[in-house]
Amino acid sequence: MAAEEKKAEEKKPEEKKVEEEVVEAKPKITDHFKFPPDETGLAIIAGVICVLATIFTALPAVIKGLGLILATLWGADCVRKTSKYGLGTGVPSIGVMAIGYGVIGAILGLAFARYGNVGQIFPGVLLGVVLMGLIGLVSGYFSNSVKWIAMKIPRLERAMMELGMAGTFANLLMYSIVTGSLRFDAVVTWVMDTGVIAFMFILGVLAMAHPYNACLGPDERRERTLLVPVEITGLICIILGFSMLVLGTSPFHAVWDGMSLIVFGLIVWVVFYTRYIKTCMKECYATVGTGLIKTID
Amino acid sequence: MAIEPELIYIVVYVTIGGVLGSLAAHLCPVGGAPAAMGTATGIATGTIQILLGAVVTGLFTAATVSTFTNNIVLVMISGAVGATIMMQVTMFFANILYGFGCGITPTSGRVAVDPITKADQTSYKTPQTDGHGIPDVVFISGTLGGFSGGAGGALMYYTLLHYAHFTYGTAVIAALGIFVASAIIASYNIRGTIEGFQDPKFKRVHLALIPTVVISILCSLVVVIATIALRGA
Repeated sequence: MAAEEKKAEEKKPEEKKVEEEVVEAKPKITDHFKFPPDETGLAIIAGVICVLATIFTALPAVIKGLGLILATLWGADCVRKTSKYGLGTGVPSIGVMAIGYGVIGAILGLAFARYGNVGQIFPGVLLGVVLMGLIGLVSGYFSNSVKWIAMKIPRLERAMMELGMAGTFANLLMYSIVTGSLRFDAVVTWVMDTGVIAFMFILGVLAMAHPYNACLGPDERRERTLLVPVEITGLICIILGFSMLVLGTSPFHAVWDGMSLIVFGLIVWVVFYTRYIKTCMKECYATVGTGLIKTID
Repeated sequence: MAIEPELIYIVVYVTIGGVLGSLAAHLCPVGGAPAAMGTATGIATGTIQILLGAVVTGLFTAATVSTFTNNIVLVMISGAVGATIMMQVTMFFANILYGFGCGITPTSGRVAVDPITKADQTSYKTPQTDGHGIPDVVFISGTLGGFSGGAGGALMYYTLLHYAHFTYGTAVIAALGIFVASAIIASYNIRGTIEGFQDPKFKRVHLALIPTVVISILCSLVVVIATIALRGA
């Protein structure tokens, strides 16, 4: 009896190993997969990299895509830290607000792009980011103040400021990827009037609002929630890559720029989606299959 | 540099649009998650999803009309009509689903007697719920909300198109951004669910007024700065 059990135990890990090898090509690093230890650290890192990726518009699209991932991560983290106290109107509202602010800030930034630019470097656009941070701060004050709306959410002012900035960065980076520059006329021609902006608006909202909306609950964990915005940004990168190819607006006038963005988005999406599903499966109490979809242990 | 009247129009009209949007957020029947289970009055989604849907439809009609007229009233009313139709279709089909799918009668949970049709509400309400479906008074309130929101969005769109000299696409998306920014502040004021003007929560509308005005003014100033910067070169 005991020998049988031992045999079964010996056999079990082997089976599991084989299954894991089949299902996941990537090593399982979810356990010690940590984002910068706290929210401030993530905000600072994301802010600095987004500034660099936004200003230098001559960078390849893939690097801007990395900046876009950080911007949406930052936004999703801000959504998470405000929404966990309960907004009352649903989590998507604050994600829509971030991208709504982002659109206004991006238009202002683009209007100032022509001032102080050196070649393909546009430091003027940062004015839009700063002003949107200010407006976010004001709206956070009004929402939180006992005299007016009295939401009484701790640090809502700061979170709304960060949301405005992250939304503006996300918008500017998406425009920058598609047009290859941040000139107002180019963005109007290639982004606004072609209607690509509609995709950007809704997918940006999805990347910021959906993660916490999907993961909220008593057992929510920050690392697991923040896998979702990265995955959605992968999808955005695929769509932006296709629009780059169709519009032919790469700063290098080459096909490889758009193609590399599509491949990058595909890899990011596959890796983070499978990792998210595995993390959920591992951390849940039990997975009960319906038989329609094959469950991964 | 003399301040041109166009720049003042931008600030004034965008602020009026923001206030109309804030009013729309208070008038639209929002049920949220409880309405999805049929235990609260209103449409079963959040404030901002309803408003976004309504104002996008309104901007669609307004943009179509603005291709052949420069009349501000016509553009505004066309946007309002588009948003109203969207709200009414949503409310009508929600009622069909509630009535023939769930088998519940549209009943207000906040008032005992319908203030407009004088129909009895309390005897049709299931105990322990907050009303269900979209009764007459809520339907009328939602219609007014859609009208107000669509008019606000279309007014912002017209302003950005003709006074800030944006292109059609830019004006639509910027109007959407400003509308969303001012309507969300109002939606935080109602906290989840609201039935319409007969709801006791509607009395909080004045609290959202000043924040919306301030946010709209700030957003319109951003547009003014952008316009000046664009004109500079």
